[in-house]
This record gives sequence, C-alpha cells and structure tokens, in this order.
Amino acid sequence: MIDYSSPAVRRRQRWRLVRDRLATLLIGACGTGVIVAVLAIGVFLVMAAWPLFSSPRVAAEPAAPGVEVAYPLAAPLPAGLEAWLQEQRLDRLPRALSQAQPPFAGESLWLAEGHRLTRLALDGEAPRVVARLPVVAAEQRITALATLAGGRSLVVADDGGGLRRWAPEPDSPGLRPVKTYRERGPAIQALWPLPESRRFLVRDTTGLSLYESLAGRRWQGEAPAGEPLGFDAGGGLLWQDEGRVQRLAIEAPHAEVSWRTLWLPQPYEGHAAPQQRWQSASEGSLDEPKYGLAPLAWGTLKAAAYALLLAIPLALGAAVFSACYLPRRLRERIKPTLELMEALPGVVIGFIAGLVLAPFVERHLAGGLALIALLPLVMLLAGGLWTRLPAAWRRCLPLGWAGLWLMPWLALWVALALWASPWLEAVLFDGDLRGWLEASLGLGYDQRNALIVGLAMGFAVIPSIFALAEDALSGVPASLGEGAQALGATRWQTLWKVLLPAAGPGIFSAVMIGAGRAVGETMIVLMATGNTALMSASPLEGMRSFAANLAIELPEAVPGATHYRVLMLSALLLFLFTFAVNTLAELVRRRLRRRYRQLGAGR
Amino acid sequence: MRRWRVASRAGLPRGEGPWPWLAAGSLALSLLMLAALLLLLAGRGLGHFWPAPVELVTLDDGRQLAGQRVREERRQTLQGSPLRERLYRTGNRDLEGDAWRWVPVASIATHEHPADWAVIERQRWGELIVRPLALEENGRRLTEAPLWESFTARLARVQALRVERDALRRQVIAPLARHLAAGHEDAEAQARLAEARARVGELQAAMARDALVVESAAGERLSVPLEEMVAAWRPNAMSPLQKLAAWGANLWHFLSEGPRAANTAGGVWPAIFGTVLMVLLMSVLVTPFGVLAAVYLHEVAPQGRLTGWVRIAVRNLAGVPSIVYGVFGLGVFVYGIGGRLDEWFFADSLPSPTFGTGGLLWASLTLALLTLPVVIVATEEGLARIPAQQREAALALGATRAEMLRRVVLPMALPAMLTGVILAIARAAGEVAPLMLVGVAKLAPQVPLDGDFPYLHLERKFMHLGYHVFDVGFHSGDVEAALPLVYATALLLVGVILVLNLTAILLRHHLRMRHARLRSR
Repeated sequence: MIDYSSPAVRRRQRWRLVRDRLATLLIGACGTGVIVAVLAIGVFLVMAAWPLFSSPRVAAEPAAPGVEVAYPLAAPLPAGLEAWLQEQRLDRLPRALSQAQPPFAGESLWLAEGHRLTRLALDGEAPRVVARLPVVAAEQRITALATLAGGRSLVVADDGGGLRRWAPEPDSPGLRPVKTYRERGPAIQALWPLPESRRFLVRDTTGLSLYESLAGRRWQGEAPAGEPLGFDAGGGLLWQDEGRVQRLAIEAPHAEVSWRTLWLPQPYEGHAAPQQRWQSASEGSLDEPKYGLAPLAWGTLKAAAYALLLAIPLALGAAVFSACYLPRRLRERIKPTLELMEALPGVVIGFIAGLVLAPFVERHLAGGLALIALLPLVMLLAGGLWTRLPAAWRRCLPLGWAGLWLMPWLALWVALALWASPWLEAVLFDGDLRGWLEASLGLGYDQRNALIVGLAMGFAVIPSIFALAEDALSGVPASLGEGAQALGATRWQTLWKVLLPAAGPGIFSAVMIGAGRAVGETMIVLMATGNTALMSASPLEGMRSFAANLAIELPEAVPGATHYRVLMLSALLLFLFTFAVNTLAELVRRRLRRRYRQLGAGR
Repeated sequence: MRRWRVASRAGLPRGEGPWPWLAAGSLALSLLMLAALLLLLAGRGLGHFWPAPVELVTLDDGRQLAGQRVREERRQTLQGSPLRERLYRTGNRDLEGDAWRWVPVASIATHEHPADWAVIERQRWGELIVRPLALEENGRRLTEAPLWESFTARLARVQALRVERDALRRQVIAPLARHLAAGHEDAEAQARLAEARARVGELQAAMARDALVVESAAGERLSVPLEEMVAAWRPNAMSPLQKLAAWGANLWHFLSEGPRAANTAGGVWPAIFGTVLMVLLMSVLVTPFGVLAAVYLHEVAPQGRLTGWVRIAVRNLAGVPSIVYGVFGLGVFVYGIGGRLDEWFFADSLPSPTFGTGGLLWASLTLALLTLPVVIVATEEGLARIPAQQREAALALGATRAEMLRRVVLPMALPAMLTGVILAIARAAGEVAPLMLVGVAKLAPQVPLDGDFPYLHLERKFMHLGYHVFDVGFHSGDVEAALPLVYATALLLVGVILVLNLTAILLRHHLRMRHARLRSR
C-alpha cells in the first residue's frame, strides 16, 4: 500500500506536475515559434517590397563642413564650344547636350530661343544648325532645358508652367513628344537633373518639385531661400543662402516605381510608343531599367492556362473513371501510382520538356498537333470497337478495365501520328508547317513554347488535381449513388446528375489547387520556355513567368536596390495569389466535408 | 421510360454512352505518359553506360569515319526532298574539331564492326575512337605480341601509379602544406614534404613512360600518353558478359567519381553527397520542430477558431511556390542573418562573405521551412487517427498530460511522423528552385564534410543532383555530349525520390491498417 502522504511520494508528485508544466510550455513555445516563423514569410515579403511605395523625402539639413560640389547643376560644355557660344552671344540661352542614335549619331547641342529649340550638330569643325523646332505654344517661352542620364531624353519647361519630355527622332533631325508631365501651372524657372539618374528637380514660382522621367511628380514642397550650387558626391543638392551652405538631402531610392509604371505601358527611351516591358538593367549602367510587371504576370497566367487546358480534362476524366468505374482493388493500386507521379521533381520534367520534347515537337509539329486533336476520337473509336467484341471477351475485360483496352490503341495512334507526320505536313502545308503558320496565321515559332510548357506542366499538375477530385467524388455518401442506380440510372447518369453536383465544390477546389501549383512552378517554366518576356497569346511562342524570373534575376540583384525590391514585390504577388487560391480551396473543401457528413447522417 | 431506352440502346455497355471511354482514356493516357517518362529515363540513363559498338563507315566518296551510332532523323533539305541522316559520335574532338558527325544514310556505302577499334576515354578532350597500332616506351616503339593485352596491362599499371600519387597528395602533402602554411617552423615536416614531393615526381615520371600510337579513321596518327587515359575498351571485341562487366564498372565510376570536363563527363559523386548531406541536415532541423508544432496544434492549443485558421494557413503554406521560400531564405537567412554573422564573427574576411552568401546551412534551413507544413500536416493526421479512448484511459490512470503524450500518443503517432519526414525528404530532394537562390553551386569539388576542423563546413556551397541536371543540360557547351549524363543523373534523382515515396506510402498503409484494428477492438 502506497503511503500518499509520505514526503517522497509528494515530492515525486510535485516533480511530475512541474515536468508536465515544463513540457507543455516547451511544446507551446516551439509550436507557436514554428507557426510564427512560417507565417513570417508573408510579413518579410511585405516588408521587403514596402519601401518601393514610400513617398520620397526632400529635406534641408546643415551641410557638413568642407563638402564640395561633385556634379555641377548642368553638365559643362567642352571649352571650345563654350567659347564659340560666347562669341555668338548665345551663352545665356537655356541649353542641353544630347546623344542620339545613328544616323544622327553623336552629340547635339540644343538651344532654346523663345518657343523654339535649335539643334546644333557637333560633328564638324564648328557647330552647325540642323533644325529649329517649335516645341511649345507660340506665346510661351522656353525657360529651362535639360537632358536626363544617358542623354536620350530632353526635358523642356516653359514660362506657362508646361513640362514635357521629348526624344530626338532616330531617323530625322526632329523631336518626338514622349510625355507631358503638366500642361500649365506656375512658370518654371529652372530644371536640375540629378546626377546619374532619370530624376530632376523643377523650381517654379511656388516652390520645388521632384520629377521622375516615367513616374512623373514624386514630391513637392517649399524651396529654401538662396541659390543652389550643385550636387555633392552623395547626390544631395548644396544650397547657398547668404554665406550659409545647406544641403538638400533627396531620399527617393525607388522614385521610378509606382503602380502606374509597374502595370501600364510606359514611354521607355528608344521606343516609339509606350510599351509593356520587363528588362532590368545591370547596376551602374546608363540603360533605362524597365520594370513592367505586366509581361511577367501575363507569362505566368499563360503558362498556367495552357497547363490547365491539358490537366483539367485529363485529371478530371481520370478521377471520374477511378471513382465510378474502377474495381476497388485496381483503384488502390492506381491512386498511389499517381501519387508517385506527383513526386517527380520539376527539374526532371523540365529537362525532358526542354531538351527532349521541345526538339521532338519541333520536328514532328504536324503529327504532334494531329495526335492531340484526334486523341478523343481515337478513344471513342476504340470504345466503339470494344462494344463489337464477342460477349465472352467483353466479360473477360469489363468496363472497369477499359483503360487497359485503350492503352494499345493509344500507343498505336501515337506511333501512327508520328509516322504520318511528314506526309501530313507535305500534303496539307506544302511540307513546312512552321512556314505555313508564319505566312498564313502570322504565328512565329519558338522551339520552347507555351505548348511544350502546357504539356510538361500539365503533366506535373495532373496528379494534384486528380487526387483531390477523386477524394471529393469517392467521398460522396454511397447512399446517393446507390439510390440513383436503384432507380435505373446508368453509372454515367448517376455521375452526371448526382455525384458531380454533390462533389462540384470539391472538384472546383481541386482545380484551384492545380492552378496554384501551375502558377508557382519554377523549374518547368524555366527550362521549357525561352524565358523571353513577351506578351503574346500564341501557343507557339515563349514567355517568362514570375517564378522563373525570380530564379534567374534574384541572385544577381543588389539587396535593397529597386530591382531587388521589385523582384520581392513579384514574389509577394506570387505568395498572395497562391495563398488566397489555396485558402479558398481549403474553405470550400471543409464546407463540402461537413455537407457530406450531414448527407451521410441523414441516411 | 427514357431511362429504359437509354439502358437498352444497342451496342453500348449497359447504356453508359461514349463518355466513360473518354474518362478511361484520360486515365490511360496519364499512366502512359508516366510510364513513357520513366522508361525514357531508365533506357537512356542506363543505356549510356553500355559499351556501344564502333562502326567503321565507308562513304560513297571513299572517305571513312568511325563512331558509335546515336540516332537517325528525317530532315527536309532545301529542295524539299526528305533526307535521312544518322548521327555518329566520332569522338576525336582534338583531331577533327567536333565529336559528332551527321551522315546522310544514302551516302553510306558500307559499314562494318572491326574488332580492333578501341574507345579511349581521356582526362581532357573527351573520347578517342581509334585503331591502336603500337606501344611506345620512352618514345621507343615496342613490338610486344598481343598489343591490346600488353596495352591494358600497362594502363592498369599507370592507373595504380595514379592512385598512389593521388593518395600521397591527399594524405601526406596537403596536410603537411597546411601545417607549414599555418606558420609552424618544423624542419622535420619540411623534410617529409620534400621527400613526398620527390616521390610524386618519380611517380609522375613513371606514369609518363608509356604511350599508345593510334590511327583515326581519317588516317591521322598520333601518340597518346597512357597517363592521359582514364579507361579504354574495344566494344566490338567484347562478349556480352564483358560488356555487362564494363557497364557495371562505368555505372560505378559515374556514382563514385567527381565530374570532369566542365561537368560533361565523369561522375556525380559530389552531387550525391551534397544532396544527401543537405537533406539529412534538413530532416534534423525539420523533424523536432514539425512534430512539436503538430503536437501543439492538435493536443495543447485550445481548439478554437484561431487554431482552425492557423491550421488552414499551415496547410496552405504547403501550396506556396517553392521559389517564394527561396526568396525568403535569400532575404532573411543569407542577407539578413548571414550578413549580420559576417559582421560579428568574420569581419576580417569581409568584404568576401562567409555566411553572407548561399551555403549548406541556409539551404537546409530554407528547405526545412519549405517542408515544415508537410511534416506538420502528416503528424497531425496521425494524431487525429489515435482514438480518444487511448488518451482518456491514460489520463484516467493518473498520468499527467506530458506523460500521456510521451508514453501513449507519440509512440502511436510514430509511423505518421516517419511518413511526414520521408515525404518531406522526398520533396526536399527534388526541389531545385529555392536552392538556386540559397547556396547550390555548379561545381564544388570540395564536399562540405572533410578532415579539416570543424569537419562540417556549413558555409560552403554544395552540388545537388537536381541542379546538376539543370546546369549540365542547359548551360554546358556541348549539350549532345552531356545529355546521357543528364539522363543518368535525372534517373538517379527520380529513383531516390520514388523509393522514398514508396516507403512513405507503405508506411502510411501499414499505419492505417493498425489504426483500423485499434478502432474495431
């Protein structure tokens, strides 16, 4: 008999309780820690992308003693040119130097005279006038002129407050209007382009504003008293006011990015019309970086759409057949097989798609297309053939084993289509389907295209859709299906009229999960497309998706730079999209399960 | 009435109509595609190691070429007439400029399989497909009777010397050199180093003794030092059994050696090692945390609305693209924590980063995070299958909650946890996208585990089978040459992953059976 009041037993009891407390605490701490860590992903991505949209700040601060002007307000002209201008008494006019593409290569000097710009070519001994171009209304006067970094954009300001960007035309001495920042307003007094960037400060009669070449005005405020001296090495504007030097710190690290520049066509340098482009520039180069997310979003959705186009019919057909027709034993074998298919790594599927399937399809395009297009017909024909079989044979091979019956026919069809491919191409398309497509439909052909991605990624997505759809269909309470069949419905009718309506939400959630996987799949898209950020719906052209773009560009991006943060933003979009899609699918599935329980209970 | 008519429609099985055939067809097609993929991988991956026969082809114009047949293709000529062309792997890259030849089938006059042609694998420049003529020793022509036998004996000798030299370099010279480089003034060590170096010189000279004079199909003769050769065989003279032995040897070399010739030849041992080590580290990290989180969610946390939401969120994280985890790993682990660690502990080696760049540790952590939802979900499922009576009985007998969890619940959930961990490993072994951001390398011949303190180098970059597939397949100069290796690597990866998944499936099956028995009791 244990003496419960003995101190030893009581001590042990207390120790057990303490241990229980400690263990619970440990489990609680670890559990919450893990869950918080996992959920931190979203928080991190938001934090990394957030600074893109913080508003720029321009603030005056006392200048450090001894700070010097590193960049003057306007780039100095060559000495000979300056002297020539003084000689011609043109040195007080607003002016700017620009670079242009051939055939008007080299530098030009632009001088503003009244409402007109004069273009002086600098290729000869002395500057010569190439053109005089009216760029503002006749009653206005150009007050300031500047070229942005790279020298391919000319910003023109006038006393009516108009502020516009022009680009030298590639094949004529003229100018092309690119962007109007504002039509009218307070008269503009001066323009100061920031060193090595496409931003510029504008001083008008009311104050100071900061503009970015694509995004437009990013900041507006009071101008300090006094006059500017120039930019220091850190990009701050030194400002002199009666012997006291101030520094105007300009903090606008991501001024070129706004929702507008990310998603709408932008007038990039070197393009005649506004474009949707993704083309990041390497750090320190003078090329204009083009951060348009639309082509990437398009590529992501295009790849997913073509994948689902293949995966949805195949996966749902397989799920329907498995849930309604397959004998139980066979089903228990086939489900794990398809689960194994889900485990195939994307890199292997991508490799097969990119290096084997893509060249193969390129060679057998006609046969491949015919193969896919006529596949359903072949299945139906093989099915029809089965019904013509003697009844004894049919009993040996019941409908549950129809897949087995179809396999040799499908294999035969594949062989036939590939064998007939050159012949088909010769008869229907003059021996060259790709040329025919190009000539008659205007479709270009990339070896690694959306068709290949659709096939490969569709293959990868089939098992996820199949597993969930099959679960939903076979989870429908048996009483419903049995009731319908007892009333004389065939299995297909039962499926169509009873099971599908009951399992509809589950199938919807299966498709959603598949879409989520297709959107986020990286390696297949990376390997099976050319990764060109095109915006075309053609199945025979490539694309670049968010995920592939991250894999390619993020290792090279400088942490904290605009490029890095835009990539983080695209990762955030990917995260939010898949998370939302999965949550929706999960909620739908939960409701469905509850409904099944109620239906099952009502038996 | 309508039902009746449908059911009795002539010909179709029980009036099912044509639709079931489409459904059956999609199932059959999915399985066919899977089978085709696996067969392709297995065939091409394993076939590469089989010594293919060498064909001596004489063309219409009298020119000859020797090579191994790769495949045939039908192409369109510019005139529009179809043309069958056959691709031969001819080797001899340094002699002929290219290791591949497309030959129009129509222009082949004769082809034969002469027994004396040999395939010689070299350290550099790829394979030679040549006819051996004679042996040379120190530049002097030998006339030993059976040329091939004496050649293989001499090649074996060179290989034995090479093994000795490499062992000497690795085991004696490298440690001594490190010892001396660390600033130790040690006359004895210096003497031993000099002695070892002299011995390496001797071995080197002994290896350079022999050379083989060969003739290519184009009639060019050259003398190849045996020192440059890795292996040599005469496929046409081999019996099937010998070929099988050669196949096994090639397979073993593939599995046990490092890559050569910019990853387009040699083996994948560092990649296997890197993958396994990374996955092991990952499972060490993910198992305790995943299990604890699942126990917390299922057994400890109040089962309210909030827990329900957290559960959904964790489940959904399994569906978040892996590249997003890679982005997180890069931003938080590599640039965040790694950068900070460098500032604190490795400031003297900055600006070249130590932990502030991708490495083994960060890759394992990222993949652990990626697979955490898998473990949590699987373990929770296992916990949910344990009948409540088991817990209640334990509590009724006076156990505290910790005792109940440790003695009753966790042992019963063990197979579920194992399933979760195996699934996590299978997923992690196949993920490449996040690794590209957090630490995988094209070529890292130094494995992250060696004899130098601290033995396990968590900051080193490593090679990975999946990335090897991507890199060799897409970034190597001669894709045609690399393709067989890519197939073999992909097959290896798929094999590992399938075995892991099968284990998980069997384990889960076993688990379900056991719990079904428990319930029915």
